[in-house]
Amino acid sequence: MKIILQIPKVVLPVLCLSMLLLTQTGCKSPSERMEKPQKGKMHVVEITQMQFKPAEIQVSKGDVIQFINHDMVAHDVTEQISKAWSSGPLQPDQTWILKVSGSADYYCSIHPVMKGKITVEP
Amino acid sequence: MMKKRLFTPRLLTSACFFFSALFVEAQQPARLTDPEVASAAVTANQIDIEFAGIAIQQSKNKEVLNFAKTMSNDHKAVIAQAVALATKLKVTPKTNYLTKSLLADAEKTKKRLQSNKGESFDIMYIENEVAYHKAVIAAVETILIPQTENSELKKLLENVVPALRTHLAHAEMVQKMVHK
Repeated sequence: MKIILQIPKVVLPVLCLSMLLLTQTGCKSPSERMEKPQKGKMHVVEITQMQFKPAEIQVSKGDVIQFINHDMVAHDVTEQISKAWSSGPLQPDQTWILKVSGSADYYCSIHPVMKGKITVEP
Repeated sequence: MMKKRLFTPRLLTSACFFFSALFVEAQQPARLTDPEVASAAVTANQIDIEFAGIAIQQSKNKEVLNFAKTMSNDHKAVIAQAVALATKLKVTPKTNYLTKSLLADAEKTKKRLQSNKGESFDIMYIENEVAYHKAVIAAVETILIPQTENSELKKLLENVVPALRTHLAHAEMVQKMVHK
């Protein structure tokens, strides 16, 4: 008994195109194809026990850093040399996201002994 | 410069007196109950808020004012946490020898602070803050935490210590600035 697969003419170009795309991507799954995201990587700096953790972080330009205040008192995250940027006061459990444009030393202007450093890798 | 020389020994003496008084009392055999620990903890925070209030009224030094505002806000935040926990645990703070000792010393300090102005005030305030935070850290670590029964209250006290240490480091930083 013969089974004849009838493919409508309209569908044929679409199938060909799909096959071509699969060949070019090496038949990778969707997750594998997302290895190189368009946006910067997300890093997390936790503010806890009156410290930035990690205190020093290495990132790439365009990455983002999420600062989370876990302490019972307010903190801020302020660029140290010229105060070029600042989160403003972060109350307990508040977060702030910084898009990294360059290396920087930063501190908490409320508690100036709390310090951190961002290094942008070349 | 004369004022600095006059104040330093006096403040050192008062800080030593405060420190030793706290520990002479602390060496008493009576163990604090949790309501008594809560009372001492809230009182220690309230006293520093009052010192900060005087500084905010009397100082014109930017670093001193910034420090005083931080002390006021941070210690209010700690009291809010302590009150919330005491309410949850249905604990009513109870006045005790440590609370009374803290309040008696604070009254003397407030009178001294209120009788000074300008640079003399800034030096007196910040030196007292250095001494006060050293004494409170010692009291929290050696009296309050070891004598607390409830685990949540103990945890709160342990969480306050890093803030007190940061306040001390901040006070010492401002101390160097006012002595320049």
